[in-house]
Amino acid sequence: MEDRIPDTPLFDRSRQRRGYRLNKMAMGLVDPANRDAFRSDEDAYLDRFGLSDEEKQAVKTRNWQEMVRLGGNVFYILKISAISPARMTEIGAHQAGMDHDTFLRERLGKKPAGGQ
Amino acid sequence: MAKLIGGLGSSHVPSIGAAMDKGLTQTDDWKPFFDGIGPGRDWVAANKPDVAVVVFNDHGNSFFLDKVPTFAIGCAEHYDPIDEGWGPRAIPSFEGHAELGWHMIDRMVENRFDPMIVQEIEVDHGLQVPMELFFGKPDKAWPVKVVPVFVNVIQYPIPLPSRCYELGQVLRRAIESFPGDERVVVIGTGGLSHQLQGARAGFTNPEADREFLRDIAANPGRLAALSREDYVRLFGSEGAELMMWLVMRGAMDPEVVVKHSHYYVPASMTGAGMLVLENRAA
Repeated sequence: MEDRIPDTPLFDRSRQRRGYRLNKMAMGLVDPANRDAFRSDEDAYLDRFGLSDEEKQAVKTRNWQEMVRLGGNVFYILKISAISPARMTEIGAHQAGMDHDTFLRERLGKKPAGGQ
Repeated sequence: MAKLIGGLGSSHVPSIGAAMDKGLTQTDDWKPFFDGIGPGRDWVAANKPDVAVVVFNDHGNSFFLDKVPTFAIGCAEHYDPIDEGWGPRAIPSFEGHAELGWHMIDRMVENRFDPMIVQEIEVDHGLQVPMELFFGKPDKAWPVKVVPVFVNVIQYPIPLPSRCYELGQVLRRAIESFPGDERVVVIGTGGLSHQLQGARAGFTNPEADREFLRDIAANPGRLAALSREDYVRLFGSEGAELMMWLVMRGAMDPEVVVKHSHYYVPASMTGAGMLVLENRAA
């Protein structure tokens, strides 16, 4: 899928249809009972939403770049970070293919030791 | 009749709310942003609105992809803050102005806008953060009632910027035909430039942001004429939220006075702004 604006995935029809189950799984985590289910048996939780092996692998390895490639939208998949803490800037750095300090410095103009 | 007393603009970055929750507003990362919000709060305190019409987008909290309204209007008596996945935030529930919400829906439909009608919904940081920035976080009750206006800026097709501007013009007529003596502000929220997805994540555009803050007051027609892709190219994939400021601007007179404008980048990964407009004739 070619991006019309370079390196900028628009959440268009093909992306959202491809990512529907993945995003629905992540959306489920707004429910505290589902957060507990995810924590206690992640595979079983992911299976409830019919995720493919490729999608499950991306979630289980917290591969944000890959989740977005598979149609995940950050607003939904971000909810995984409530269980496995990751800052938004770390998720951004991962997608940009940079380590966190480099991302903060080069993209956000922060000093190397900066936090959020 | 109700009176529109001002148009406000504000970012709604969730980490601004988190910074307030954690007492981080005076840290090196946050102080430059929070130092600039005082005049916005002062304006609200001096002008005492009764109602805030808050134009924002839900971020996959109250709406999932199963049902995506392009525009939705709240006509509920109250709106609880939603648990976005990290547990509920300690902020009071928002009192709704149901009658004004219904009146806005009536006038919209008569003017060929056809919104979703919402009587029960919770609201996420898109509404919470601008309310906290302008009104502060109260212990018990907010000083104004709210009417939430939800705009889909996530799932394509998102509305045209020009359509957002026209919606504001309709909302102005709705507010000023409402039988009451309420003093109303419209708050456009979101942005400024930011991108959270893809290899361009972390993109901001301070120059375009500053031009936006200038032109939303002085030359809104230019911003309404841009395409959706222009917004994404200039302001990043999530920077398309900025078109919601056009709803606020459409509600104002063609000639406005800028009472306050503030900009700082980055707030987390976002260009953060605050704006206060009054009609020149007011």
